[in-house]
Amino acid sequence: MIAPIEAAGLGKRFGRTWALRDCSVRVPAGKIAGLVGPNGAGKTTFLHLAAGLLRPTAGEIRVFGRSPQSQLLLLLDRVGFVAQDTPLYPRFSVGDMLTFGRKLNRRWDTAAAEARLRTLGIPFDKRVGQLSGGQRSQVALALALGKHPELLLLDEPVARLDPLARREFMRRLTEAVADEGSTVLLSSHVVADLERVCDYLIIIAAGQVQVAGDIDALLASHHLLVGPRLNRDARLNGVDLVKAQHTERQSSLWIRGTVPTLGAGWREESLSLEELVITYLSAPEAGTLPRPELEEAAS
Amino acid sequence: MTWVTWRQHRQEALWALVLAGLLAGVTAYTAYELWVSSANCPRIPGGNCLSNDVFGQIAQSILRFNLFQYGLVVLPALAGAFIGAPLVAREIENGTQHLAWTQGVTRMRWLLMKLVLVIVPLLVAAALVGYLEVVLLNVEGPQTNRWDVFDQQTPVVPAATLFALALGVAFGAVVGRSVPAMAATLVTFVIVRVGIGELARSHYIAPLVKTTHDFNAVGSQADPTAWWLGFPNYYDSSGHLLGNLLGPGAGQPSYVIQSFQPGDRFWAFQTIESAILAGLALVILGFAVYWVTRRLT
Repeated sequence: MIAPIEAAGLGKRFGRTWALRDCSVRVPAGKIAGLVGPNGAGKTTFLHLAAGLLRPTAGEIRVFGRSPQSQLLLLLDRVGFVAQDTPLYPRFSVGDMLTFGRKLNRRWDTAAAEARLRTLGIPFDKRVGQLSGGQRSQVALALALGKHPELLLLDEPVARLDPLARREFMRRLTEAVADEGSTVLLSSHVVADLERVCDYLIIIAAGQVQVAGDIDALLASHHLLVGPRLNRDARLNGVDLVKAQHTERQSSLWIRGTVPTLGAGWREESLSLEELVITYLSAPEAGTLPRPELEEAAS
Repeated sequence: MTWVTWRQHRQEALWALVLAGLLAGVTAYTAYELWVSSANCPRIPGGNCLSNDVFGQIAQSILRFNLFQYGLVVLPALAGAFIGAPLVAREIENGTQHLAWTQGVTRMRWLLMKLVLVIVPLLVAAALVGYLEVVLLNVEGPQTNRWDVFDQQTPVVPAATLFALALGVAFGAVVGRSVPAMAATLVTFVIVRVGIGELARSHYIAPLVKTTHDFNAVGSQADPTAWWLGFPNYYDSSGHLLGNLLGPGAGQPSYVIQSFQPGDRFWAFQTIESAILAGLALVILGFAVYWVTRRLT
């Protein structure tokens, strides 16, 4: 099966700065994938490359096996995109925004889009500029879902929302994609936002992908071991160490894969998703990822 | 895309309609008054035959204040600044280009439709108003020198409008912010138009040179249909240049030389200048399309 998104050696440079470098990642179909990383890590750049808004400087990106740059027209109907800060035309009414979606998309479900906003109680005659942040992002989501996208890309959709609106947005999003069976790639710098809805995680820092995988598998394969202080140069043979931290009396080891037997005084502590993310973000050299091979689309 | 463009720009369309309509109305009214009155009185040099009633007086004031002529010079610049510059810049300012470019329409189609739908109606309006000025000048007769109002006639008016809009769109796309793009558009438009008018226009075709002993045979009073270039040069019988003015102490002039563009070249000049402006506009628009589709990536 062709992956919704596949990138190999993907890089994007703006002037002299690499916003994204040597990024190889694959988003499997049907997943709700979270793209997490600090501000300026390259999340927006990655999403824009996938949406065909940017051209890569290096490497390649494929969406459903096609290039979002040279074959964009074939992808526009299948990919929904909600840009950062959910831009809409402030002088348009909500109804106008829906007409905008209908007029500009060949594939468009007016009834579904209207029903979605009606359920939320958003008045169609209200100007977009007068909506609350939560309503505004719901309109943007309805607009992106109106074409029943097979892939939905969302760039920090809840960054400006209050906790209640965040929860509501995420709930509506998961409901919608559960019905449609679409793949979602959603960026955020807040792990808690992603933890509730995502089943796949891509950690990105300083323009590079640190780790990517099913959240359950990631949590199962990573361990935090705490024990008596180790010599800083102690060699741990056969251990895939992500990060080590030493205090006066104890050492903490973040380990990937099988847990080694370290002897008395060592115990395994539970590792939350947030801790896992922070571990990778604070040890950017630790990430290792197999590079996926690009599949050619049958055209 | 047609609906979207209309919804986005209907306010500007209304403004353009009101201003162009006002200008067209004023010009047409004055032309009509002149035409009606010309039938019932002999032609007075340097004046007109407008009646003394209130309608004639209104037309007289319009003529005196040159209302439409200022309008015809200023409006293309305003169209470039207020409609051309924000066309792409406002989208970039609000981030809405990312919304527009991820619907079912490619960026190229989005831009071309927007350009055509906004520019074509404005050009039609500009051509119409500029043509009314031509009609007015025809009614006025030779008392007004057409060359003095070169910038206010069709086809130069729509060509200048296209040029201003192209400048606005390109600056807007490159700068990405409306207000600086508007300022850049106005400044560039004025520099280019004044530059062309002052430096290039008189050279489109090599001017003719009139050399005569009859000092009254040069200048606008001799031939008001011609464009007399610079000042007359007076020479004495031995061929020494005396200066540009006749007067006491200037010596005894024998003949005068002045170069000019004859009146029958007027429409050729209009065509040449329109072609220059339209050509520049198309190059700039091409650049804007290139920038939006290739560089904003």
